[in-house]
Order: sequence, then C-alpha cells, then structure tokens
Amino acid sequence: MAASKASRIGEEIWKTRIDKVNAELVTLTYGTIVAQLCKDFEDDYPEVNRQLDKMGYNIGLRLIEDYLAKSNTMKRCSNFRETADMISRVGFKIFLNITPQVTNWTADNNSFSLVFDENPFADFVELPDDGRAQNELWYSNILCGVLRGALEMVQMQVEAHFISDVLRGNDTTEMRVTLIRYIDDELPPEDD
Amino acid sequence: MVVYSFYIFDRHTECVYVKSWMPPQVPGTAAPVLSTGSDDAKLIFGTVFSLRNMVRKLGGDDDAFISYRTGQYKLHFYETPANLRFVMITDTGSASMRNVLHQIYINLWVEYVVKNPLAPVEHKGGAGVNNELFELGLDQFIRGLM
Repeated sequence: MAASKASRIGEEIWKTRIDKVNAELVTLTYGTIVAQLCKDFEDDYPEVNRQLDKMGYNIGLRLIEDYLAKSNTMKRCSNFRETADMISRVGFKIFLNITPQVTNWTADNNSFSLVFDENPFADFVELPDDGRAQNELWYSNILCGVLRGALEMVQMQVEAHFISDVLRGNDTTEMRVTLIRYIDDELPPEDD
Repeated sequence: MVVYSFYIFDRHTECVYVKSWMPPQVPGTAAPVLSTGSDDAKLIFGTVFSLRNMVRKLGGDDDAFISYRTGQYKLHFYETPANLRFVMITDTGSASMRNVLHQIYINLWVEYVVKNPLAPVEHKGGAGVNNELFELGLDQFIRGLM
C-alpha cells in the first residue's frame, strides 16, 4: 500500500472514529508514571527503561486489536516497508496524532528508524540534573514496548530501542526498529 | 436464518468461547442433528485450520477461507490479522456471515473483552471472555439476525 494511501486512512480514522482526550492529561499522566518508576527503583534508570518497555509491551498486546478494529484491517502488510508506513501513518496517527518519519532503512529492508519531530509524552519535560538521567534514561521508552507487543500479535518479532532523544540534548528523537523474524502459526496440539 | 453455534479460537489454537443457540430437539421436526459436545471444538478447529492452509496454498497468501456448506449446515470462518479465529455455524440458506463475524470482532470482542483492563491478555480456558457485556451483546446481536 502506498504511503499516501496510508496517510489518508490514518487521517480519516483520526477524524471520524477516535475519541479525543486532552493532550496535557496524557503528558502529565505519562510523566507521573515515569516519575513514580524513578522513585520506586531509586533512580536506577536502566531498570526504569526496562519497566517502561514492559508496560508498553502489555499495552501493545491489547492496542493492536483496537488498531485492527479501527483501521478495518483485513489482511497483513505484504512486507516490512509497508508495516513501517502503517505504524507511522496509521498507528501513531490515530493514537497520538503524530506521524514520525520512517527513514534510515538498512539495505535488507529489515531495520528502520522512526524520527519523532514531535512527542506528546515529552512536552514540558526536563530530565533530572543528576548527571546520570541524561545518559541512562530513555524517557519515552514505553513506545518501544508498545511496538514490540503490537507487532508480536501480528506475528512479527521485532527489537525496538531509542538511539537519540531531544530531552538528552540530541538533535532528534529517533527510535530504531529491527525485524528479527516472522513468527510461524501455532499448530494445534497432537492428539494422544 | 438460523444460527446454531459460535466459536472463538485464540492464536494458541485454544477454543476460548463457545455458544450454542440450538433449539430444544422436538421429535418429528426437520432440525438438523448437530452435536455441541466438547470434542466438537477441537474437530472444528482442525477442520478450519486445514482448510485455511489449503486455501492459502492454492489461492496464494492473500486468499481467505470463508465458508463451507453441507447438507445440514453452513460453517462460516473469519480470521483477524492477529490470528483470532471466529467460526459460526448456521442453516444452509444463510448468506455470507463474514461481515457479521467481523462486526462481532470489532464491536463486541475488542470493546468488551480486549478493552476490559482487568481481563487477562491471554484467555486460557476462556478466562475473561464470558463477561456479561460480551455475553449479552453477542446474544442480542445474533438474535437480531435470526
């Protein structure tokens, strides 16, 4: 499916089928979660990243069903490039009203970057000035988990992680997504 | 149109929901003899799974198995991209129920089962599926068709 068609679908669903919520409510709710995790794990940022990823994973497992229902998707994407376009132009569009750029493809078409020009989670945010958060905390790491969980449900095992974040002082916020493998159908157990 | 029974199978091939609308058997009527025992779910899954694979083998990966018909009943099948499978058994005269199964997925499964924050993600043994909203919604929807 062409990228422009995906954009149209995303736009259409966003306009007609999505209940909107106040953006600041989202930002503040997400911020509270991250802050609480930092507190609970005593500023062990790698652990906070892991917890965010895990929470996202559990969200993704469910969110994919809502995505499929809202987008009326009846069949699989035919290749990973199409998947990437649908993630950005339909998935991110309908749930967060953003369309990260899909870019930096590897030659084998198995790995791409999502570059976030805007990120509703990170509005108003400044990372703690403790000399470590800037290097260790991936503030929006929940998104990696969401992608991993959602794609697993449609039989794609992927690995996702942030490689830069404007909150850390980088020029862009960039997430790297890599396809590990397509998961085979599960077979019914053999009769004894 | 008469709906006899309805099944949902998850991606682990387990039957997570069964419902039957079989009228009580009246002697001397022509109602078909369809059993709804517990082994049926397994048999049905085996059948639709094989048919789906065969259809894809012959017709390409985008082809979908939709239904089959016997002298007594018609079986309808719909599979979501997340490998959730819906099966409905109706009388032989009914039109395609693919759209109906799709609607059940969108309006009942996603709304009442997936979005229930306290229901488990995996529905082992049917856990979390037979909640009241889903149950009532499904029954109303199916009765509205008949």
